Amino acid sequence: MTKELTLFLIILIPLTGVFILPLISRVSASLRNWFSFAAILLSAVFSFLLIPSIFKDGAVTVFKSLPFGFNLALTADSLAIFTAAVVSLISALIVLFSFDYISHYKHQDEYYPMVVLFLGAMMGLVFSANLILLYIFWEITAITSWRLIGFFREKEHVLRADKAFLVTVFGSLLMLMGFLRIYQETGSFDLFTIKEAVKLHPISNLTISLILAGILSKSATLPFHTWLPDAGVAPSPVTALLHAAVLVKIGVYVFARIFVATIPLNLPWQTIVAVIAGASALVSAGAALVDTDLKRIIAYSTVSQIGFIFLGFSLGNEIGVAGGVLYILMHGLAKAGLFLCAGIIEQNAKTKDVRHLGGLFSSMPITGISFLFCAFSVMAIPPFGGFFSKYMIISGTFQAGHRIIATVFLFGAFLTVLYLFRAFNLVFMGEKKSPSTVAGEGSRLMLACVAAFALLSLLGGIFIRFPSALALITAQKMLL
Amino acid sequence: MLSLFILAPLFLLFVLNLPLKPVNKACFWLAGVLLSAQILMALGHALCPWSLYPDKLGLFFVFNLVMDNLTLVMLLVIGIVSLVALFVGKSTIILEEQRFNFVSLVLACVIGMNAVVLVRDIFSLYIFIEITSIASFVLIALKKDKLAIEGTFKYLIMSAVATVFMLCAMAFLLLAAGDLSFAAVHSAFYNPANAGLLKCGAGLFLCGLLIKSGVAPFHGWVPDAYSSAPAGVSILLAGITTKVAGVYVLLRLFGSVFILNAQFQNILLFAGAFSIVMAALAALTQDDFKRMLAYSSISQVGYIILALGCGTPLAFAGAIFHFFNHAIFKSLLFVNAASLEKEFGSTNMNTLAGLGNKSPVTGFTSLIGALSTAGIPPFSGFWSKLIIILALFSAGRFVYGGIALLASILTLAYFLAFQRRVFFGKTESTLSSAGTSWALRFWEIALALITAASGAVFVLVHNNWVLPLKAIFW
Repeated sequence: MTKELTLFLIILIPLTGVFILPLISRVSASLRNWFSFAAILLSAVFSFLLIPSIFKDGAVTVFKSLPFGFNLALTADSLAIFTAAVVSLISALIVLFSFDYISHYKHQDEYYPMVVLFLGAMMGLVFSANLILLYIFWEITAITSWRLIGFFREKEHVLRADKAFLVTVFGSLLMLMGFLRIYQETGSFDLFTIKEAVKLHPISNLTISLILAGILSKSATLPFHTWLPDAGVAPSPVTALLHAAVLVKIGVYVFARIFVATIPLNLPWQTIVAVIAGASALVSAGAALVDTDLKRIIAYSTVSQIGFIFLGFSLGNEIGVAGGVLYILMHGLAKAGLFLCAGIIEQNAKTKDVRHLGGLFSSMPITGISFLFCAFSVMAIPPFGGFFSKYMIISGTFQAGHRIIATVFLFGAFLTVLYLFRAFNLVFMGEKKSPSTVAGEGSRLMLACVAAFALLSLLGGIFIRFPSALALITAQKMLL
Repeated sequence: MLSLFILAPLFLLFVLNLPLKPVNKACFWLAGVLLSAQILMALGHALCPWSLYPDKLGLFFVFNLVMDNLTLVMLLVIGIVSLVALFVGKSTIILEEQRFNFVSLVLACVIGMNAVVLVRDIFSLYIFIEITSIASFVLIALKKDKLAIEGTFKYLIMSAVATVFMLCAMAFLLLAAGDLSFAAVHSAFYNPANAGLLKCGAGLFLCGLLIKSGVAPFHGWVPDAYSSAPAGVSILLAGITTKVAGVYVLLRLFGSVFILNAQFQNILLFAGAFSIVMAALAALTQDDFKRMLAYSSISQVGYIILALGCGTPLAFAGAIFHFFNHAIFKSLLFVNAASLEKEFGSTNMNTLAGLGNKSPVTGFTSLIGALSTAGIPPFSGFWSKLIIILALFSAGRFVYGGIALLASILTLAYFLAFQRRVFFGKTESTLSSAGTSWALRFWEIALALITAASGAVFVLVHNNWVLPLKAIFW
């Protein structure tokens, strides 16, 4: 099998699976579930298969010229394949989790196709080397996340889904305007051509800020961050997907793709991004400290951690960028685990308000330990994976000479420890609050999934050599 | 061959009105066959250029009919939308007498529209615009209730004003050019002697056509006319009739007959941008789905006018592509409205809720129509808007391009509100379905497929339809 074919398969298996799923769901519900899992898992397997050859021999590119420069340009370089592998692996585990989680709700026939389409669009976006192609996949993820956030169809849920859709689309329209301006300035939508063109003529500041607005809105970074905590009304696997695997990672990934690998930002812009990221990290960490809804706390934590990733990518030095790449992996694993744990708690204790929860550790030991492990990784406690990525970013910040910013982020990291311990204490420690919170464990499949995320977070730290080597090579190639 | 497009419906109209029982019974199918033939001929033109065959029938006419790529696209759209309107009318209009009148009037409209896109002189153009308009006045008033009469009356009055403008304009043009054929008027524009008269004529024509196309601030009649008309008629009006009588004529005259100078450009750009934003804001506040669609229609016409004002060939091609897309997705949305009305007895969004489970086909296809209207990829509306905005940016019109781009968020907002209130929510137990007809579902799915497919195979559409269009203008 050629590399090009594998690349197409990674994208097309989920995208065609979407059209087959409605037919399968007429036959049998469990066949539908396994089919969606298989579609995502196949994407993951093919991504992992491509990793060795791409890291050794360099990028695989498919190019077909189309009118107006709306070319079909796909490229699988080390950044793309690394992200694709991470994202599809996490999504596959999340889908496995949702078999049991979602089984007693209506509209499952909509849920699975939407999740598979979501992942398919993400795969397409990751490999796009043309801005219009990228934009198309970007909007498809917006449509699917809208349907998924409003999954329960309560009035307020749908309103919040609409909010998420409108905020992200507003951002993406600004971004599209930026893309069109890039086309004006460089004469192309293709990232390779743009990369060559900007070496001669730098992109104007207005264009950069338009694209940045789109990225920030998708990644739920200050000042566009409020939709993400609101999106917590979605089913927990969906929130896990939004936070850990797909949606907010899109913004970060596109930032890396455009502003690190294609149009390197100059020093003032690097500082601006770092400052926005720092403000976002601190503000949302503060919000996470005071919120009482477990899923909102974790959601604010995502906003805060995304700030770290932006910082890493904005630094422009090898260790910082490598830290950012590694962070995508580590944060994805840990945050997916946290949300799935929250899902188990929400479903079994019938509430997600931390004031009404307490002492769940004795009745839910596996969930508790998994939650703790994932929280350790987000807090950056060695030897968990999250430690290494955060360390690399902070060290990169010092290396770049941003002492104040580095201090701010260290404070942000400290706040992370505080709010996650607070959440853990309120939920798992202390006395049992009310009889209704005597909750048992989730089903075996659900536990297996959260335990897998917890273990992967731990193993990712113990065997840090492998992912960090990949991240370093990726960073070197991006900064070329 | 070309005159068949006018003579065949005329002949059918004549035959239908003969007192023949079996013919009257089959009136929908006969008209359907005729319109399907029109669609097939338009689609098959590339394989078999029938327009080149000599035209003996044309001897009956004093005007000559000419075929070009723009006309071809228009004939296709007229065929599709009229066919959909016809069969939606078949399943929603119940009274026997109204059914028969409906078919006859649709045929009259088709005659007028086909002629409008085929003729090449301004006077004939005017005649056929009026034929189309008069047929549509009667169509709106088909139900004969108070609202329908009010809607018709508003349209009638506004149209009469537009007619006066156009008649005066023709007088000026005739004075200056001595002849009203497109070629004569066009060459007169290069003669500096009558520049003032010609500019006056073109300006008056522009006013008349802006009223006819329902562009803000001349849009007052649109929501009343569209929402009070029977379902099939709304499709015909919103999808094609007012677009051919107004927007197409604007495109044709300002694209290849008059000279689009900077003043006209500014007027068109402003009217377009104003329509887009104003109508989208108005649509946000509507409670009735059909009224919302009417405002959405005004807003989408704004994009076409905006592209026309931009004045580059690329913008024209984008405008026509958007014309086509708009005809398809707006017809789709009006079929959705017809379906809701038939099934639940209302198009008021306050009384409908959570219908996603009860009528999934309507819910899903209306979502496709809405996303396409809002310019969300990968549906066809995205591509036409992108071409228009790209053309505006290329012409250096960044502000108008930015307005057009960001107005998509308003479009998305009102369609999301619609989805939330009608489909995407908890089902109310009080609503019971009267059962939808399979015919409506068939058209919903067919139109949704067209809009999704022409987005998905955009490259094919571009190479076969959009690219040839660019060549027409200048």
